[in-house]
Amino acid sequence: MGDVYIIGAGMHPFGRFEKTYEQIGSEAAALALKDADVEWRDVQAAFMARMYLPATSGCRILRKLGGTDISVIDVEAACASGGAALRQAVLAIKSGDVDLALVCGTEKMPRGFMDPAMIYSPWQVELGISQNPSYWSMRAMRHMHDYGTTEEQIAKVAHKNHRNSVHNKYAMYQKEFSMEQILASPLVCDPIRLLEICSPNDGAAALVVVSERKMRELGKKGIRIAGISHSIARYSSDFRCPADSMSATVDNLGPTRVTAQRVYEAAGIGVEDIDCFEVQDTDAFCEIELYEELGLCPIGEGGRLIDSGEVEIVGRKPVNMSGGLISKGEPIGASHLGQVVELVEQLRGNCGPRQVEGAKVALGHVLGAGGNCAITVLER
Amino acid sequence: MTNRRISIKDGLLTGPLDQLDSVHLAGSRCTSCAETSLGTNLACPNCGGDDLTHVALGDSGTLFTYTIVRHRPPGAYQGPAEFKPFGLGLVELDGLIRVMAPLRPAIEDLKIGMPLKFLPYVLRTNENDEDVVAFAYESVGE
Repeated sequence: MGDVYIIGAGMHPFGRFEKTYEQIGSEAAALALKDADVEWRDVQAAFMARMYLPATSGCRILRKLGGTDISVIDVEAACASGGAALRQAVLAIKSGDVDLALVCGTEKMPRGFMDPAMIYSPWQVELGISQNPSYWSMRAMRHMHDYGTTEEQIAKVAHKNHRNSVHNKYAMYQKEFSMEQILASPLVCDPIRLLEICSPNDGAAALVVVSERKMRELGKKGIRIAGISHSIARYSSDFRCPADSMSATVDNLGPTRVTAQRVYEAAGIGVEDIDCFEVQDTDAFCEIELYEELGLCPIGEGGRLIDSGEVEIVGRKPVNMSGGLISKGEPIGASHLGQVVELVEQLRGNCGPRQVEGAKVALGHVLGAGGNCAITVLER
Repeated sequence: MTNRRISIKDGLLTGPLDQLDSVHLAGSRCTSCAETSLGTNLACPNCGGDDLTHVALGDSGTLFTYTIVRHRPPGAYQGPAEFKPFGLGLVELDGLIRVMAPLRPAIEDLKIGMPLKFLPYVLRTNENDEDVVAFAYESVGE
């Protein structure tokens, strides 16, 4: 079982566009193929991550590139859809079934709160236990109670990510907001404010992945996928939607810790070996919790880590150099692959003002409904 | 004639629905691992065991965490026509389970650790002229 490499990465900006999802997705796929310097007819299997799009979206999007008879399947795992799709491509290559695959994530989503019928039971919707930010907010409230995390620390995450996005042409908001503006923005679900959460939107990202043998044959130098894992939350380990209750007696590790442990083990590395991170900042508090769960700091110390400046682009452990989902928006099927495109460009040294100097190992992380979590570690 | 009453979700409530004072949240206690889960379940969501005792959960709890929902929830929300921000929280019952529920106390009074009690109520009348019984938690002493 050889390694799997990324030789092409392409992205359609995240935002809101007067285009069909077929256009948005096929443009990203075409960019990834061009970046890899291969043709659509060279692709032996394709995986389309999406959550809001109709059946056979993968076929509809990729047929725009030309006729084909390869296996094209849609993959859905909530916010981790892109990671689950990339993992399927890696497995297909490792199995020896194919040696060049395309992975694409595409989404086109309505404005505002996500449709609760997608992720909640009808009775939860009737009672209003169905507004996505509420779950993250309850976690934030408890964290503030237990560890003294402050609203200012949460706002600092949003401030950092919006500032990082200023140089990212793929981000929806490429705009810096002051701490005062963030803390004066309306509360959505206490303590989380409007400028601290991500918006569902449109976008696409795509990767061309190959076996080591194929990479040599093509004369390419790819980015190695050092580890990839996807999991759902263990019993009562995460009260993200659509949880209706939590155990007061069972203390299971959360999905990020479980998935990170698996990836670190598979890659034979520890968090100390990773140079930069793109993580699921669905809301600004979520990023603070993830510092702890990924092992960047001890549990309860996330607020102090953002204060330290270590997670800035110029810091010791940069997080969300792209501006994160808070500034890019979250087109669900595309979000993880968008992270991976950013990390590939970081490892290639192509990120200009948001480049992490000398980055060699990078980690992308997503987490969402059902405690679906995916983590990919890349190495140049 | 009074309407027939039904639970907002099958298996979520226990007790005679026409006597709300005697209605409680339903739970399932696993014989194998002793875990208590919400609702009338066929298998334990912790260990998968299928030897479950159906129990009534306690009516008293404490607020483990909460948020305030500041905007009208999307979709078929059945709250007041004129939206009012409300509390939503995890209420811990007897050190066993934390149940997600709407909170009745005024939003400025919400505090982690505050005592709360179970409040079953008629949420609405459905298209079959049945009264749908839902639940929330209210302050102790109300």
